[in-house]
Amino acid sequence: MFEFINTLLIGITAGSIYSLMAIAIVLVWRSTRVVNFAAGGLALASSFVGAAVLEKTGSFWIALPLAMVAGAVFSAFIEYFFLRPLLKRSGGKGEEIFLPIVATLGLLGIIKSILNFIYGDRVGSLPPPLSDKGFIVSGQSIALSPMRLLILAIVLISMVLLTLIFQRTNLGLSLRASSFAPEISRLSGIRVDLIRTVGWAISGAAGATAGILQTTNGSGSIAPESFEFSLLLVFGFVAAVIGGIESLIGAVIGGLTLGIILSIILMYVGGSLVFFAAFLILILTLLLRPHGIIGAKGGRRA
Amino acid sequence: MELSARKVVAVHKRQITNKHRFIGFALIGLLVYILSNIVDEWRSFQGATIAVYVVAIASVILLTGYSGQISLGHGALLAIGAYSAALAQIYFHAPIWICFAAAVLITALFGAILGAAAARLSGPYLAGTTLALAVGLPSIANQFSILGGEQGISFDAGWPPLSFGESFTQYKWFFWIASLAALISMWWVQNILRSRYGRTWRAVKTNEVAAEIAGINIARSKVLAFTVSAGIAGLAGALLAMTVNNVSPSAFPLVLSFSIATGAVLSGVNTLGGVMIGSVALVAIPEIASSVSDRWSGSENLATLLPEFIVSALLILTVFLAPKGPIEKLRSRHVH
Repeated sequence: MFEFINTLLIGITAGSIYSLMAIAIVLVWRSTRVVNFAAGGLALASSFVGAAVLEKTGSFWIALPLAMVAGAVFSAFIEYFFLRPLLKRSGGKGEEIFLPIVATLGLLGIIKSILNFIYGDRVGSLPPPLSDKGFIVSGQSIALSPMRLLILAIVLISMVLLTLIFQRTNLGLSLRASSFAPEISRLSGIRVDLIRTVGWAISGAAGATAGILQTTNGSGSIAPESFEFSLLLVFGFVAAVIGGIESLIGAVIGGLTLGIILSIILMYVGGSLVFFAAFLILILTLLLRPHGIIGAKGGRRA
Repeated sequence: MELSARKVVAVHKRQITNKHRFIGFALIGLLVYILSNIVDEWRSFQGATIAVYVVAIASVILLTGYSGQISLGHGALLAIGAYSAALAQIYFHAPIWICFAAAVLITALFGAILGAAAARLSGPYLAGTTLALAVGLPSIANQFSILGGEQGISFDAGWPPLSFGESFTQYKWFFWIASLAALISMWWVQNILRSRYGRTWRAVKTNEVAAEIAGINIARSKVLAFTVSAGIAGLAGALLAMTVNNVSPSAFPLVLSFSIATGAVLSGVNTLGGVMIGSVALVAIPEIASSVSDRWSGSENLATLLPEFIVSALLILTVFLAPKGPIEKLRSRHVH
C-alpha cells in the first residue's frame, strides 16, 4: 500500500510535467494546426538558457522566468520566420499535415545541432532548488519532497494562469476565436497572424517550464542529446493526443493518466515495457474515442 | 498552375509505357552490376544501405503520398520485418529467400491489424499513434528472451555461392541481394500504384466524400494501403538486418523512423520516381559531412553534428522550395 502510494506520487509528478509539454503542443496545434516537434528542441534550448542564468546568478527563481521568456521568444521566432511562410503555401491533403510535421522535425534537428555546436560535450546543470529528500510519514520516507511539491505547485499555477488567460481575457477570447474560425475572426477585426504568434509564444513558455522541471526532477543536468527530452517530447505528444489535441484540460488529463499508468508499470511490470505501454494506452483510448478523451465526437467531414 | 501540372503528368504518362519502364529498370540493374564490380567493400555496404532506404522510403511514399495516411513509425515496421526474418532463420532454419518472404508476410499481417485501427484515425491522431509505436515496439525485445534482449539476435544471409568465384566479397553479395530486392519491389509498387488499387487510394486521398459516393469502400482502401506499405517496410527491415548481420532494438531507434520520413520528403512525398534522391542523400550526407569537417577542422564535435545539420537544413529547404518534391519541381519548370 505504502509502495503503491509512492508509485502514484511519482506518477503524478511525472504526469504533470508531461501535461505541461502536452499543453505546449496543444497550444500550437490550436493556433496553427501544426504538430510541433520543434517543441522538444525549444524546451531544450530554453532549459540551457535557464542553466546559464542559474550559473551566473545562482538563483533558480530568476532562471525559471528568464527561461520561460527565452522559450516564448524562440517559439515566436520560429513561428514568424518558418511556419508562417510555410503555411502560406499549403500542399494537398495528406501533405497538409505531413510537411509541417517534417519541417518541425528539421527545425528540431537544427536546434539540436546548434546546441551541440555551442555546448559540445559540456552539460548544463539544473540542480533542484529545494531538497529532494522525501517527507517522513510515520517513520518512512515517502516519494513527496519539497521539490516535488514545488513542481506540482508550478504546474498548477501555470494551468490556473492559462485557464484565466483563455477564459477571462480579451487575448484569450481572440486566441480561441482565431483557432476556431480564422476567417470570421479576421473579419471581426482580430489580427489573426499576430494572435497565432502569441499562441506559439505561450506554448514556448509552457515548454520551457516543462523542460526545466523535467531536468530538475530527473538527472539535474542537460546535454544536447538528452534522452530525458526525447522522452518529454514523445510522452507530451502522446498525452496531447490522448486528451484530444484540442483541449487544455484534455492535455492535463492525458498527461496525468500517462504518468500514473507508466509509473505503475515501471514499478510492477518492468521498465522495458514502459514505451510499449504508452503505445497501448494511446491506441486503446483512440479506438474507443477516435478524437481523444475530450475531442469532438464524430469528427469533421467534408 | 495546378491544372498545368496535372497536364504535364498526363503527357508523361502517354509517352512512357511499361516497356520503357522495364528497360529503365534493366538499365538500373546493369548499372548496379557494373558498380558492384568496381567499388570496394565499404562502397558496396553503402550501396546496400541505399537499396534498403529505397525500399523503406517507397513504403512511406505509398502510404503518405498516395493514400494520404501519415506514418512517423515506419522504423517499428522495419523492426517487425527484421525480427520475423531472423526468427524464421533461427527456429525454422529457413533459407534466406523464405526469411525475406516471411518478413514481408508477417509485417503485412501486422500492418493490416494496425491499419484497421489507423483507418479510424486521421491527422495528428495517426501521427501520434505511429510515433508511439516507433518508440514502443522495438523496446519489447528487451522484455522477452526469445528476442535476444539488448544484444539482439543474429541474422546471417550466408556467404555468396562459391560459383561466383573466390574474390566475390560478402558486401558485394549483400549489395546484389538488396538491389535485386529493391528493383523487384519498386517494379511491383509502381505497378500497383497504377492499378485499380492505386487509383482508389489517390481518390480517397484527394476527396474522401467524393470517393465514397463513387462507391469506394474507404476503410478497406486505407487498410489495404497500410497492409501493402507494411509488407514493403518489412522487406526493408529484413534487408537492413542482413546488411548488419544482427537484429537488436538499438538498430531501430526513433531516429530511423524520422530518417525515413525525411528521405520521403527529400524524394518528394507524392512521386515514387524520386525515391533514389532521398536514399542517396541519407547515405551520402554523413560521408560528405565527415570529409568536409576533416578538411575544415579536426574538431570531432563538428563531425558529429554536421550530418544532422545538413539533413535538417536540406529538409527545411525542400519543404519550402519544392514541397511536392524535386522531380515535380523540375517537371513544372520544364513546361513554363
